[in-house]
Amino acid sequence: MKTNRILWTVASMMMAAAMVLTACGPAATEPPAATEAPMTEAPETEAPMEEITLRVFAGNVGQELELTKEAAGRYMVLHPEVNVEVVDTPDFVEDRLGVYLQLFEAQSPEGDVFQIDVIWPGDLAEHFVDLNEYGAADVAGDHFPAIIENNTVDGKLVGIPWFTDAGLLYYRTDLLEKYGYNAAPATWAELEEMARTIQEGERADGNEDFWGYVWQGNAYEGLTCDALEWVDSSGGGTIVSPEKLITVNNDAAIAAVEMAASWVGDISPDGVTGFGEEDARGVWQAGNAAFMRNWPYAYSLGQADDSVIKDKFDVSPLPAGDAGHGSATLGGWQLAVSRYSEHPAEAADLALFMASYDEQKARAIEGSFNPTVMSLYQDEDVLAATPFFGSLYDVFINAVARPSTATAPQYADTSRIFYNGVHSVLTGEVDAMTAFEEMELDLQDLLGYDVGQP
Amino acid sequence: MAGLKKLGELQKSEERLAYLLLLPTLFILVAIAIYPLATVFYNSLTDKKFASSQEVSFIGLRNYRELLSVTVKELPPVIDADTGEVQIDSETNQPVYERAINILPREPFRFRAMKQFNLFGKMYVIGATDREFVRAIGDTLAFTVVTVILETILGLGVALVVNANFKGRGVMRAVMLVPWAIPTAVSSRMWEWMFNSTRTGLVNVVFQNLGIGNGQIPFLVDTAWQIPAMITIDVWKTTPFMALLLLAGLQLIPKDLYEAADVDGAGMIRKFFTITLPLLRPTLAVALVFRTLDAIRVFDLFQIVLQNTRFSMASFAFYNLIDSQTMGYSSASSVVIFVLISVFAVFYIRLLGAEND
Amino acid sequence: MTKRITHIIGRIFFWFLVLLVAFYMLFPFYWAINSSFKTENQLQMTPATFLPRDQTTLEFAPTFQNYIAVFRNERFQHGLINSTIVAVSTTLLSLLIGSFAAFALGKLRFRGRTPSLYIILSMTMFPQVAVLTGLYAVIRVLGISAIPSMILSYLLFTLPFTAWVLTAFFQGLPDEIMQSAQVDGATPLQTFWLILLPLTAPALVTTGLLAFINAWNEYLFALTFTTIEVDARTVPVAIALFTGEISHQEPFGEIMAAAVVVTIPLLILVLIFQKRIMAGLTAGAVKG
Repeated sequence: MKTNRILWTVASMMMAAAMVLTACGPAATEPPAATEAPMTEAPETEAPMEEITLRVFAGNVGQELELTKEAAGRYMVLHPEVNVEVVDTPDFVEDRLGVYLQLFEAQSPEGDVFQIDVIWPGDLAEHFVDLNEYGAADVAGDHFPAIIENNTVDGKLVGIPWFTDAGLLYYRTDLLEKYGYNAAPATWAELEEMARTIQEGERADGNEDFWGYVWQGNAYEGLTCDALEWVDSSGGGTIVSPEKLITVNNDAAIAAVEMAASWVGDISPDGVTGFGEEDARGVWQAGNAAFMRNWPYAYSLGQADDSVIKDKFDVSPLPAGDAGHGSATLGGWQLAVSRYSEHPAEAADLALFMASYDEQKARAIEGSFNPTVMSLYQDEDVLAATPFFGSLYDVFINAVARPSTATAPQYADTSRIFYNGVHSVLTGEVDAMTAFEEMELDLQDLLGYDVGQP
Repeated sequence: MAGLKKLGELQKSEERLAYLLLLPTLFILVAIAIYPLATVFYNSLTDKKFASSQEVSFIGLRNYRELLSVTVKELPPVIDADTGEVQIDSETNQPVYERAINILPREPFRFRAMKQFNLFGKMYVIGATDREFVRAIGDTLAFTVVTVILETILGLGVALVVNANFKGRGVMRAVMLVPWAIPTAVSSRMWEWMFNSTRTGLVNVVFQNLGIGNGQIPFLVDTAWQIPAMITIDVWKTTPFMALLLLAGLQLIPKDLYEAADVDGAGMIRKFFTITLPLLRPTLAVALVFRTLDAIRVFDLFQIVLQNTRFSMASFAFYNLIDSQTMGYSSASSVVIFVLISVFAVFYIRLLGAEND
Repeated sequence: MTKRITHIIGRIFFWFLVLLVAFYMLFPFYWAINSSFKTENQLQMTPATFLPRDQTTLEFAPTFQNYIAVFRNERFQHGLINSTIVAVSTTLLSLLIGSFAAFALGKLRFRGRTPSLYIILSMTMFPQVAVLTGLYAVIRVLGISAIPSMILSYLLFTLPFTAWVLTAFFQGLPDEIMQSAQVDGATPLQTFWLILLPLTAPALVTTGLLAFINAWNEYLFALTFTTIEVDARTVPVAIALFTGEISHQEPFGEIMAAAVVVTIPLLILVLIFQKRIMAGLTAGAVKG
């Protein structure tokens, strides 16, 4: 209350300043925005023909944005009383999250539907409505259970899955053949051996820029994804277990990260500890790597007409470690409805529409977005358009989620502790044992959970 | 008598005019900034989370203690339980010391090891509660001192050159602005690309041709290269700012002073030290103040190029606000920046006397 | 004789340094231009080429696709207009208001001069990210639209800058000018308008230019304030929103092309202002 009064005093001062400015400055180019709705909830009038506007905050990427706009267009045809505005937000994660947080801090009714990352439901749960109350409960069963579980925080469905992603191993079929291998590596040890042989051979053939294996090693969320794959496939758990035990510090995890650290400067570039997705793809797509860990997006770019590796590569699940299975980190985006929206019911309806079977099918066919509706992986039209989807089904259904729900609302910090710790091992600043011991202590300080074994 | 009175009145009316002229600036600045600034100070004393309904409590200086606490502890050598003697590492032949993680205090804040060093045969460890921030302070200050010195020297040089009369200096003046005119968000990406860790990066190609490295130097990851790389980019980017500002100062120096000096037969160097430098002093002071201010709160450059791997103080505040949403903590780090800038500002102003009339 | 030789050596050394600095300042821009004419695949060639070359034949093969994409991007064109409006308004306002303050601070005697200087400076001593949330709250309560919001908030860093710089310039002018004008019966304000401002015109232009570029390049405030007012986005925001065809893909060539496209008009602007500076200089010379 008090802050509000101060704010108003300041505001009126500023208004005066603004008036002075417009008086002596060049004419303001735009009229002030229509007076916005007061902070207090406006009485919900159910007049059916009154036009309402819903704002969808979505990704800005060329084709992705177009597809979202097309979906909004189809919705408006079905619901003429609704006007959908698609607002694009930067691809750079901190910028997008920053924009969202400013709106939430102000409890702004200006955004209705938000595209959120798979790791955000836990941390941002309090700003979104429970979609189960708006009819999502009926369709939740159609989506991958792991994603629905990830998006459910304390029984509340925070976001409806929209499209998914998982880590894949890309490999050069031509080079594997050249060096006498007939299948993608099944274990990390095999990958290491194959990568080394191919790298030595290609360098001897005169390509001094060639590397065996490229991946994401910069200190950022991408490293959490990569490292989780090494650790989980070695039986080292998922940092924090779903039962809220801190399991990060164990021998399997330490061994897995030490293995990755041994790659740096050997089969992977010295600079891999500064690589993001695009850096890895840069090396890969120039034909300078035998293997790459990346998301599915790199597939269609590698198959572009001017690509030097067109038809020379394929994807497979990531190799297995001591756990006996490979692990792929779950990625992807959800649609959530803001608690501060003035039309939550309509917004939820729009979100569910955009994530429905038909809409996801359109996105899968036109933009190769991986659907979250399971039955789409058997849909003939989808498989005809993107044949490699069929083989991805197993990867997606077994994908391992980052512990974003178990650590909510502290996932971002949890991840930061983890990727910084792993990064310091990769760069050789700290030995793995100390790094993992510190991660464990830091996570205890942060979360207050007990320590356990995976 | 009457004359004195009139003088007093003149003095008064001059004072009134001064306040009147100052009013718009002060009013606008205070009106825009007072609420944001006050909240930063206030939040820095709380545990406020950004965009959260979590209850906010007042925690005094706790954030500052957590940000800034540093300690030095001795690491005792490990005594072998069997022999009762100091354990010796069989590979390095050096005594084995207790691990820092077991020695550093954990209450009320956990100290993390920053650096170990050997002094008079004893092993010590420096611990900090937030080693990222303590490191960011050191890095930012080093960055500030080196860039400001280099930019001042280069900027003054460039300003003197383009202030001289020669053909095409108009074009030269426009051209020297190029680095400053490219948006930082873009120029940082450009440099990031030039510093790429493979031979797609220009610097690696050039270094390899000069026989340095194998074309795979990870400039932006290797801790030894990171800050020098940042300095290279910033000096490139902001020297034009310095040069242009100093050029404006040079242009205000009356030409007849130099002509008089010519008559006295003064040389170039003497003219520089007796005329140019003293008369440039106020401009130099202002340029230094604003350059230092921008350098200490350097943000986009570090955020774009080094991201999470190494922080400037401002990018530390940014990542803590957006990624961790610890608004109180982030605000406290901003206040530390504020205090450091104040120290520098007062130092320059005293040193160069921009404030005396 | 030896004196002459040292003189020549000094000259050579001097011009060598000048060339070195010019190279350092300009080469990265050349590299941006070079990159802007490359396709994604050409950018990935190792070792990097100093001209856009074909991947296999190594012949000169520039592409214009990045520029075509930039010019087709309506957001970017809007951004140019918005940025111009915002940066010009910010610059003019801060020059106008700042020069008043600077006159008082630089040439008038009054109590509270030093505190005023410090207050003005202290308003700009926080990192942007710290004040962003508070500013956003104020602007939301005011309900003003994005463009005036940006102008107002940019004053936060341009106004202290212009006020301080102009103060230093005014101080540098000899006091006799003021006194002789007063003897002639001019009021302080007349002295300011008719004598001080014309005398410092070149410096004013330079200061304005620096403030202009500061406002032109600002990103964080602009991104936040134009979140929902998509049409008010400025150039840096528009560039940040450049994307590839697919998520994650970074259109590096296009970003470089955009950098070239925004820098060239600024250079032309500066060249135009050069004439003003020259005119100001000659005017100053007559009076001084």
